Amino acid sequence: MTVEEQIREIVARITHVDKSIITRESTFKGMKADSLDVVQALVAVEEAFDVEIPDEEAQKFQNFGDFVSYVENRVAQKEKV
Amino acid sequence: MSLEGKLALVTGGGRGIGKAIALKLASQGADVIVNFFRHRDAAQEAANDIEAMGVKAEIVRANVGDPTKIDEMFDMIGNKFRRLDILISNAASGVGRPVMDIDLKAWEWTMNINTRALLLCTQRAARLMDGRGGKVVSISSLGSFLAWPTYAVVGVSKAALEALTRYLAIELAPQGICVNAVAASAVETEALKFYIKEGLVKDSHHITPAGRMVIPEDVANVVAFLCSEEAFMIRGQTIIVDGGTSVGLLALAGREDDEHD
Repeated sequence: MTVEEQIREIVARITHVDKSIITRESTFKGMKADSLDVVQALVAVEEAFDVEIPDEEAQKFQNFGDFVSYVENRVAQKEKV
Repeated sequence: MSLEGKLALVTGGGRGIGKAIALKLASQGADVIVNFFRHRDAAQEAANDIEAMGVKAEIVRANVGDPTKIDEMFDMIGNKFRRLDILISNAASGVGRPVMDIDLKAWEWTMNINTRALLLCTQRAARLMDGRGGKVVSISSLGSFLAWPTYAVVGVSKAALEALTRYLAIELAPQGICVNAVAASAVETEALKFYIKEGLVKDSHHITPAGRMVIPEDVANVVAFLCSEEAFMIRGQTIIVDGGTSVGLLALAGREDDEHD
């Protein structure tokens, strides 16, 4: 499973949204996610990939695609080390 | 009031009140394990500050809302150090909502991090303190007995934490473990400054009899005292650090009215 697919599953589980409708353009707001959903999604993704997503970075995410891209980069950086 | 040779774990020890406590315990000679969850850089910075005082520091990542992660953290401490002298249960989170908007998820998130973590961490810590005694201090809030807007679930979690502190104090006394809590009013941290700037919380220095807001070091000083042998006969108590705010509420209500005249 790709990073994107794994994150999609995590976000779908937390927001109770069908994963098939989560696209890279989807937003947490559009998924009717509250602030706790967002924190829980960040935490779950951090733990799944053993990466850290500072709040300042998370606040810059415009949509699901930004979230995925950030995590993909962090995972790639980690693999290089 | 030396803590030389003692090993302390401070949950949420990388920032705010937890960091001040970690630094204070280190300044008294304790080696400190700084637990963090989402802010590694801050925890590392705290650890560097601690080591600069000539004691040892270690950082450990764990979400104290997750029992598995608590177990992993204590497995590490047990394997590496084989003991623990001081547990500071400080890490906290919460969801600010009116009572009618609190759902199961918000309730469980807050209670698991703020209250259940004290139970689970103390159960594991007590085993590492067995035969040598120890100190446990939890961090509470005036919201445990005062009702503030949107603070309900956090306030309830802190009230439960204080009750648990009393039970732990009695049941762990035979093992030589002292358990107490420290409750602070709004503490001047980076987080609070943000809330004041956003207009979500009022700067309350003018309604504090002591004339200024509580700072993290005020809380840390009391925590360090509770970790000392001088505090041996204090058990199951919640010590309030609020510059007199809670006992001066009525007098201060008058003072606020005067200011509006």
